[in-house]
Amino acid sequence: MAPNAYSRGRSLVAVLRLSVLTFLADPQWLIPSLIAPVVFGLVAYELFSGAGPFFVLYAILGAGMMSMWGQTLYGSGWATGADRHLGTLEPTLSSPTPYLYVVGGRVIWNTVAGLFGGAIVFAVVAVTYGRPIPLSDPLDFVLMFLFVIVTLASVGVVFAAAYVYTRYAGFIQNVGEFAFYVGTGCMFPVVLLPFWTNPISLVLPPTWALDALRYLAIPGYQGFSWGFWWDIIGAVGTTLVYLVIAGTVFKSVERHVLEVGDLNDW
Amino acid sequence: MSAHPVIHTRDVRRVFESRKGFFFNELVRTEALKGVDLDVDAGEIFGLLGPNGAGKTTFTKIVSTLLLPTSGTVEVLGFDVTKEAHKLRPRIGLVLGGERGLYNRISARENLRYFADLFGVPMERRDKRIEEVLERVDLVEAADRRVEEFSRGMKQKLHLARGILHGPEVLFLDEPTIGLDPKSARETRKLIRSLVADGVTIFLTTHYMFEAEELCQRIAVLSRGRVVAQDSVAGLRKLVGGDRTIEVEAYGFDDGEIQRLRALPGVSRVVSEEYGPRLRLTMRVRTNELELATIRTMLANHPELALRERRTSLEDIYLDLVEEEAS
Repeated sequence: MAPNAYSRGRSLVAVLRLSVLTFLADPQWLIPSLIAPVVFGLVAYELFSGAGPFFVLYAILGAGMMSMWGQTLYGSGWATGADRHLGTLEPTLSSPTPYLYVVGGRVIWNTVAGLFGGAIVFAVVAVTYGRPIPLSDPLDFVLMFLFVIVTLASVGVVFAAAYVYTRYAGFIQNVGEFAFYVGTGCMFPVVLLPFWTNPISLVLPPTWALDALRYLAIPGYQGFSWGFWWDIIGAVGTTLVYLVIAGTVFKSVERHVLEVGDLNDW
Repeated sequence: MSAHPVIHTRDVRRVFESRKGFFFNELVRTEALKGVDLDVDAGEIFGLLGPNGAGKTTFTKIVSTLLLPTSGTVEVLGFDVTKEAHKLRPRIGLVLGGERGLYNRISARENLRYFADLFGVPMERRDKRIEEVLERVDLVEAADRRVEEFSRGMKQKLHLARGILHGPEVLFLDEPTIGLDPKSARETRKLIRSLVADGVTIFLTTHYMFEAEELCQRIAVLSRGRVVAQDSVAGLRKLVGGDRTIEVEAYGFDDGEIQRLRALPGVSRVVSEEYGPRLRLTMRVRTNELELATIRTMLANHPELALRERRTSLEDIYLDLVEEEAS
């Protein structure tokens, strides 16, 4: 029985369910999912509370992004590393389900968890500030927020492929973490960085999406100055490129690990 | 052996490459399999024996689609494992065993449910099937406990349950009773036999000779990446030189005595080994004509002579084959 659309969909749900169960069973996730967003939110508020409501929004967007990073991007790759560690990568790959669908299910869960982290940051600041953060169009903002997570997830899928490929992926991800934070404009806009870094940043889908989110949320925001819609086009384009890369890479990565035979190494 | 074996391999080779040195500039090549030919028939229990590092797990991973061979032909249920793994995987099961390979923080039932979904066990039968396999491996009472609380034996049972969950036609078992207490090991062997009765073909690797002898219709001995023998236990006995094993023990024998023992009718092999202060000669004997009394008369000048006879065991056969290959 070759996997069809139904069985692949069922696999996605199974992975999603497993992710929730392991998340709930593992207290270490309390830090990135509950504690870190509260800390990020309070720090953002303390730094910008005197600078007016839009500066606060500006800061908490960054804090929210940092919180989401941990869940969405880091979590997607990390789960595959955990499969290596537990020795579950072999039985998972020996199943008829293509591994890309296993990663897909995890990305969906991490996206939800990331959104939750972002929401906590907003809630913390709103409570501390004493009133809701001013948003011109809350529905558009939430949709845009979701879109940012999708762009983060597209990078997460590529990281997950790296974890299947080599047990040293964690090292690469840890080294690149801070550069990614800064390079995509999580905490502050990329335009504040030296000009020569901008092309590197623009290769990453979240850079475009985060800039679009700031256009949407902060009145008078300048960003890259090419406007909201070009940001959206750039984000969609680069995200699609990353997803195509991930799909292609996963096929060759699965082949590679079967050639090398190090699935059980940690 | 049938014309359409379930597992068919020809000249399977596998080379592992790794890099050593400070700059990883030294390429190290290890040839784990050096041309393995095997055929396994439908419905049989086939055993693969061999010392540590002989290539058993490498071979098991290749036939179960988890590792690609460097060269050679590997077909399971008529599918080429290098090109049609996606078609083959739903029809085979693999049990690698050990402490790892399970999600420790969730229950045994949740582990099985996850893999049932990945293997496409029909939704309407899934929960019933999980209950069935839990019952079969005697884990019903522990089904809702976290796997991290399990003993090694319980984990081994859970590995087995996962391996048979989707009703595979061929089941690969890599040392399935390792770490199990005698009672659990016996139950596992019973389970293996019941699976064969259901029509499942079993490919088994083990270090326990009695287990292989008890379960397997045919056995292959792998040593240093090569199959050194492949037959039924009776066939292997003939190959190593006889059903009978006679052990002769005394405080030393001279070369002339050993030569004379070798020349006795039906004696195919004489191996000497030190046994404390004494020397033990182990003789494989092909015929029934040779009597212990003949040997006793020949070695009458040894006052402390001890003579024993027993049936040649699979362990004897195995050691003969592996030592012969090593020498």
